[in-house]
Amino acid sequence: MTLLWGFLWGVASVATIAGGAILGVWWERKVSARIQMRYGPQQIGPYGSLQMIADVPKLLFKEDIVPDLADKAVFKLAPLFVFGPVATSMVVIPFAAGWAPVDMSVGILFFLAVPSIEVIAILLSAWASHNTLSTIGGLRATAQMISYEIPRSLAVLSVVLLAGSLRPLDVLSAWQWWWAPLTFVGFVIYFIASIAEMNRGPFDIPEADSELVAGYFADYSGMRWASFMMAEYGSMIAASLFGAVVFFGGGWPLSGAAGVVLLVIKTVLIMTAVMWVKWTFPRPRQDQLMSFCWKVLTPLALLQLVIVGAVLPWL
Amino acid sequence: MSLDTVAFALAAALMVGGALGVALTKDVMRLVVGLGAFLLGVAGMFLYYGHAFLATAQVFVYVGGVLVLMIFAIMVVHRANGRPVLEARHDIGAAAIGAGVSGMLFMTLRESVGGWLPQSGTPGGPIAVELLGRSIVVFELAGGLLLIALVAVLVIVGAGERR
Repeated sequence: MTLLWGFLWGVASVATIAGGAILGVWWERKVSARIQMRYGPQQIGPYGSLQMIADVPKLLFKEDIVPDLADKAVFKLAPLFVFGPVATSMVVIPFAAGWAPVDMSVGILFFLAVPSIEVIAILLSAWASHNTLSTIGGLRATAQMISYEIPRSLAVLSVVLLAGSLRPLDVLSAWQWWWAPLTFVGFVIYFIASIAEMNRGPFDIPEADSELVAGYFADYSGMRWASFMMAEYGSMIAASLFGAVVFFGGGWPLSGAAGVVLLVIKTVLIMTAVMWVKWTFPRPRQDQLMSFCWKVLTPLALLQLVIVGAVLPWL
Repeated sequence: MSLDTVAFALAAALMVGGALGVALTKDVMRLVVGLGAFLLGVAGMFLYYGHAFLATAQVFVYVGGVLVLMIFAIMVVHRANGRPVLEARHDIGAAAIGAGVSGMLFMTLRESVGGWLPQSGTPGGPIAVELLGRSIVVFELAGGLLLIALVAVLVIVGAGERR
């Protein structure tokens, strides 16, 4: 029975990501246009909202190009390996008190462990392309994702300390409103590190279009390319949902269905902030990125942990 | 056949397939893919027996850490002219030694844990105490050894390139 449910939830989370990506791309086009004083899509549907319905068939019918020198089997499979873990990570997120698709005792650790599988998949796609730019992009992505995993996990750890549990449902039910100001620095660290984890601007050094074409997925086209983009949007949705649950108490102060609606609103706000950051800040250099992670974010996350640890005995 | 059995069979197939891939392929990068499949299969097996923490730690440490380290090592020692430096050889002697060692391990394990079956749903507390208690030094040492081995490989290959 568990397997069947797992399968169903897998399908549901893939559908959520695909739908979210379609809406997200439209929303991002609108947000970026707003920031750059343009209109964005406006011809198809109200406010251009049906634009993606025109774009999806285009992606589906594009030729699937596999380079002659590529390691074909690995090249074809890698996009699936990139997308799969993101869809898997969605299922441990609790949407309301007592309700998560999969109730896992170490769900928070599981959610944080998922990018490690993605690192492998990105390295494989970079390697299989047999292309210098892809390889450089893959190496950059790995260095970045492994490094930013540390401040990200440390930031979440402060909430785990407060809740005293790694089970996402326990964290949600134990959540108190004053945790949000107490762990706000943690949220900012989580937010920055998550942007780096999903390789989005301004931390899109692995795929920097002006120097590496598209980095590790430069040789992909059509639906395989779209899998990489869906994985990026999927991790944006998953990270925003998880952040809204862990740092902002999910549907707090509402409960039930209204709480789920509020959770979605919080998630959309965080996603909009992610887009805002992308279209506002320039891309840093590789060494700036690394020193920011190790010299600023990690010590700050440790400091946040110390503060929470100091408050904890007085509760 | 219940669905849980199907899950078990899937994890077992992933393990056996991955292990066969590691043993039979010559391309080192595909060998790593096989190893990854095997490790994920082991994680699935842990999940099947209800040890979610162990499964997650397996993915975190082995897939996310050790495997990435191996791919990095392969990428770094790969020559620019495309000729692979590392190639797995199919050596009968090595196969014999491998088969002997795994046979020995299998016999020992069957002797020592013979009638004992893994219990599902054991609490994670004792594992945590064990991991962060007396075993922590051993784990850190093992990590240090891995790092030394990687640096040694780079030094050896670098010396070969200069010659």
